[in-house]
Amino acid sequence: MRIDAAAYKCRWHAVAPGAKALFALSSIAAAWLASSADTLAWLTLLSMSATLAGARVPVQTYLALAVAPLGFLLLSCLTMLVTPSSAGGWQWSPEMLPGVTHIALRSFATLAAVLGLVLTTPMPDLLALMRRLLVPELLLDLMALCYRMLFVLRQAWDESNTAQAARLGHRSLRARWRSTGLLAGQMAIQVWQRASALQMAADARGSQGGLRFLPVLYSNARRQTALSLLASGLMLAFSLRDHL
Amino acid sequence: MTPLIELDSVEHAFADGSSGLHSCTLALAQGRRYALLGANGAGKTTLLLHLNGLLRPTAGSLRWHGRPYDYSRHGLTALRSQVGLVFQNPDRQLISALVEEDVAFGPLNLDLDEATVRCRVTAALDAVGLGAFGRRPVHQLSFGQKKRVCIAGVLAMEPQVLLLDEPMAGLDAPMQADLEVLLDRLAARGVTIVLSTHDVDFAYRWSDEIHLMAEGRCIASAPAQELYAQREALRAAGQRLPQALALHAELARHGLLPADAAPRSVEALLAALRAQPVDKHRGEILI
Repeated sequence: MRIDAAAYKCRWHAVAPGAKALFALSSIAAAWLASSADTLAWLTLLSMSATLAGARVPVQTYLALAVAPLGFLLLSCLTMLVTPSSAGGWQWSPEMLPGVTHIALRSFATLAAVLGLVLTTPMPDLLALMRRLLVPELLLDLMALCYRMLFVLRQAWDESNTAQAARLGHRSLRARWRSTGLLAGQMAIQVWQRASALQMAADARGSQGGLRFLPVLYSNARRQTALSLLASGLMLAFSLRDHL
Repeated sequence: MTPLIELDSVEHAFADGSSGLHSCTLALAQGRRYALLGANGAGKTTLLLHLNGLLRPTAGSLRWHGRPYDYSRHGLTALRSQVGLVFQNPDRQLISALVEEDVAFGPLNLDLDEATVRCRVTAALDAVGLGAFGRRPVHQLSFGQKKRVCIAGVLAMEPQVLLLDEPMAGLDAPMQADLEVLLDRLAARGVTIVLSTHDVDFAYRWSDEIHLMAEGRCIASAPAQELYAQREALRAAGQRLPQALALHAELARHGLLPADAAPRSVEALLAALRAQPVDKHRGEILI
């Protein structure tokens, strides 16, 4: 929900998703090409600046979303620094530090690129982009319906949860567990009912089976893609500098 | 003139054996406004689902322009392009995440070209007053706005008949007033409107003709102006007399208003009352 809200509120929400995806993919490619820690750090900083300063995504939102993957990354890096010893136990291996640092920086740069894309591109735009890239229709229909149902069921969950709390359903841990179990069971029925209702509503509007969408028109798409190409080229050149 | 849609002794039994409709007969003419009035469980929604071809009668028949409903895939597509249905709960109808995507869903299913679909989407959104909301996500809209998107989604298919299941349910008074204005606009364009409601005052004020339903039966049909004569049927349908009609009858009985042409709303009744010459009597009030 937080990602969705940020994507709609940011300054770049109306920018052609193709241009943003190109920039993000180039950032990832540049991160894979870069071999020095400095370059990787600069690439990370660049992606973060584009998202925070360029698209004006709130720092709090950015950090809140980055904290989970960063925690996972930190944990992975720490485990890489601990290796089996010849005595059969575990030992601290500082000689692994340069390699681990490099992996961590590359992951940071990739994470920053992905966050830049998802925090500035609303899901329907991403789906439209994937449709243009000829991702299978069935998969896209499923994604579109899941995305829509996410909000419908979230609202249904919140309403039922509030109704349970109002009738003392959350007065103790035991009651809370029981209420949550009941709610989960009730949601399963709701999912089934809502799926039937959506099918009926689609039939009422002449559905032929799949979902069909109008291609989205972006008035400045050419200019935005050209700018994205320029930025991507510069980034890739910056990374290739490491190999010269 | 052949009615647009006719129901002839339509019966419907649900899979669990319960009866949805029982010997329901009625006719709908072009360009008229109809209200299906009845209590909860009277069969209003079931009837609307039959009109759109979503349910098939277990007995009896439905006719479109005098011809029996064609329940083949092609026949249903043709029917549904002309008879649009707006469901009661918008969250159960809205399929797409974006407003314009959802409104385009129906026209795209009619295999229209892209330019025509875009024109229809724009026109439908303008008609419901959401012209600037095309790229807005559906989940960020209010309940009333979602309802309007649902109506736009059906209007974009340019149907001859618009069916609305409890359109006023869940809307506050200003939203209800806005929706009523919208329905008036659509009716003025020649769209036949059939809506279900259990608000007798609204049905009396808005519709040309009222079909009363109770326990799956169409128990009476009458022009709204003649509703006073249907008091027994109203009672059977779990309804009271519209306030405007009851007040008018009482005022007419006391000679304060003429007995003919009852106003359709309390506001109209008050206006009629104010227009009457007033005789002032001096004297004292005895208690």
